[in-house]
Amino acid sequence: MYMEKYLDVINACRFCFMCRHLSPLGNVTFKEADTPRGRALIMDRFRLDRANMNNSDYIQTIYESPLSAACRFHCVSHYDEAGLMLAGRKDIVEAGLAPEAVKTLAEELKQAQFKVEGAGKVLYYRDPYSDNADAFSGCKVISGGDTGKALEVLGFSADAEAVFKRFKQAVADSGCDTLVCSCPASYDMLKNKLDGVKVLHSSEYIEGRKGSGQVYLLESDYLKNYNNMTSAADMLIRLGYELKPFGTNREESYTAGEAAVVYDKLYPRLAEKLCERIVELADDPGKDILVTASPYTKAVLKKYAPQLKVMLLDEIAVKGV
Amino acid sequence: MSMSNQNYSYEMIRSELTWVVGEEYVQCSDSDKLGHSIDYYWVPELWHDRGKIPTPPDFVVHPATTEQVAEVMKIANNYGIPVTPWGGGSGSQGGALPMYGGIILDMKRMNKVLEIDAVSMTATAEVGINAQHLEWAVEKAGYSTMHFPASIACATLGGFIAHRGTGVLSTKYGKMEDIIMSLEVVTPTGEIINTLPVPRHASGPDLTQMFLGSEGTLGVVTKATLKIHPIPEARKFHAFLFPTMHDAMTAGAKIMTSRLRPCVIRLYDEPETAKLIKKVLGIDKQGAYLVFGFDGPEKMVDLEMEEACKICRASEHEDLGTDMGQAWWDNRYKFFYPPYMFQLPQAFGTLDTVATFSNIEKVYWAMKNTVTENFPQAQFIGHFSHWYEWGCMLYARFIIDTPPEDPREAIALYNKIWDMAIRAAIKEGGVINEHHGVGLKLGRIMKELYGPAFKVLQDVKQVLDPNNIMNPGKMGFKGK
Repeated sequence: MYMEKYLDVINACRFCFMCRHLSPLGNVTFKEADTPRGRALIMDRFRLDRANMNNSDYIQTIYESPLSAACRFHCVSHYDEAGLMLAGRKDIVEAGLAPEAVKTLAEELKQAQFKVEGAGKVLYYRDPYSDNADAFSGCKVISGGDTGKALEVLGFSADAEAVFKRFKQAVADSGCDTLVCSCPASYDMLKNKLDGVKVLHSSEYIEGRKGSGQVYLLESDYLKNYNNMTSAADMLIRLGYELKPFGTNREESYTAGEAAVVYDKLYPRLAEKLCERIVELADDPGKDILVTASPYTKAVLKKYAPQLKVMLLDEIAVKGV
Repeated sequence: MSMSNQNYSYEMIRSELTWVVGEEYVQCSDSDKLGHSIDYYWVPELWHDRGKIPTPPDFVVHPATTEQVAEVMKIANNYGIPVTPWGGGSGSQGGALPMYGGIILDMKRMNKVLEIDAVSMTATAEVGINAQHLEWAVEKAGYSTMHFPASIACATLGGFIAHRGTGVLSTKYGKMEDIIMSLEVVTPTGEIINTLPVPRHASGPDLTQMFLGSEGTLGVVTKATLKIHPIPEARKFHAFLFPTMHDAMTAGAKIMTSRLRPCVIRLYDEPETAKLIKKVLGIDKQGAYLVFGFDGPEKMVDLEMEEACKICRASEHEDLGTDMGQAWWDNRYKFFYPPYMFQLPQAFGTLDTVATFSNIEKVYWAMKNTVTENFPQAQFIGHFSHWYEWGCMLYARFIIDTPPEDPREAIALYNKIWDMAIRAAIKEGGVINEHHGVGLKLGRIMKELYGPAFKVLQDVKQVLDPNNIMNPGKMGFKGK
């Protein structure tokens, strides 16, 4: 089983409470099960007796994790609870026990076919949540679906690989040697897997125009917690904006499920709750300008918290506040 | 109860609960039951580890308001169902375990900061708020609760109130019973009451203090007003190494009885200095490590620090300086993260005891001798972590690296160590607990500790909770 590679994580997290304040889902459902400890206990049940994998409640909880990795970033030993969840999902899928909604969504994601349009030396990947074409008008654009990252986080690793191969071929066919993406999830996958092509996140690529004023950055799970990157904040400061700290701390995840890539499609009520927490923590929800690097986060906040003024990083770079 | 969810009465009760808090806030899934059947007490952890199922609740209920708590109490009384309040679930004494099933009243949905009064320097909050979230909110307003326990990230304000919790700065800023101004409480029969708004008065016995430490046996605390403090201009630390724990204790006691006001003093005995101070702080020395700190206006901090250092330098010592003191502060929570914290398969327990300076070393040696002489497989380490004008708290631990595989044998051994060590401490003037509480773990010792006075507590419990629905079987009160 894949989860056996994470026995140290199970042993460390199953009785540890030290990161529960950072559990994005636990902070809105208030359920013990929705914390790293709660999920590690479930994985431990799987370890103790594989028959427990037939428990649909347990499986549902494993899939409801938003995978923010805020716990791993915080933990003094950086135990990889998000990695444990991904391994558990792979085991669940291989056992044919994924929830029906997950299987249906996976079928849809498998259909991705990529096409490249436009002209330019740089290739921009337009992910399914992006609506920011203006920022990349000088680039070729590749689109057509998720790169395989969504399938990967759902536990369909073989299918994710097949989709990624098609994506990789389309990138090769484009003739570009640099690929830029806005979606932090895609960036996380591509920078690690796409050989022979320089992969940049848009915050590392866009020069942008100077601006001014106060903005609040909702930090990306993938940029901060997975890759320890500060490029989004750096870009805003470089452009002349004053960064205000959002909420009360820099440790919680305020992405509404970015790291789970397709969270809103599977768990709209939970995504809505995650958005409600962002509204609750905003200093002035109708007035503050919130900036996110994640097209997913922007789309979900627009849907569930329309009173918030949310801008994508790429958008603020091109249009200003 | 632990009734079958196929039973019609289960569905009747569940539906009534949903009318009060909403469908989405009454949970009965196996995931929810698992998460709420294990707290930070070693026994249910072991039970789980050995593949057994700890007693689950029948329902996990998340109220949003005090009125909803009151309504849940009425339903519970009507059916005679146990109600066990749950905050962060990180208690080490089994106080939040649903021993008899029934309702877990998870308070985390009541998590709002209601008011920060900058004039009186108080904050009022719902008690389900996570302590770190509360501290962050208060800090954003420019103040601090000065409540920094190792469990700050996991426990709720209500959890600390329930067992008179403390934090690392307690020596100056106090324990929960010093921090709390007043409480809103739902009684076991569903009445909503408030204690007096200030903690110092002559209007009879103090109800706030009665509910503090009652561990959910006398009602459900729903809101609290607590003191907050300005962020100090300076906070400085200094560490010394003494040849023996006794030398270090003499210096620490002198600092306190000189009426200096350190915000923290910690003294680690020789074995814990060798084991944990080395592992966490990288200080590899033989002896007893003593660290202390002062905070406030910088001039006062420097003056008090100078006086405290003078006391330490009066006897044989190694001056570890400010860096080795600051290192302790910077890593104060690291001790509790894996792999620095003890964890299964080890058996371990914190023999939390408090006593006067006259007795505290006698308590230490009585416990240590009891453990090491009767249980040669156990190690015994300890530090003294919360200091008063009259004495301090001993945070002693026993650790067994390879407890019996059979869970029944392991629990029997574990219980026996607790029993003997705690009784040895009581005999030397120790009180069995300073800030972890009593819970399930130590309930059986309450009668012995209090003597005839325990009947007063039992009578209070009987009057307030005639149907014995509130957290039965805890704190020495009768079970279901």
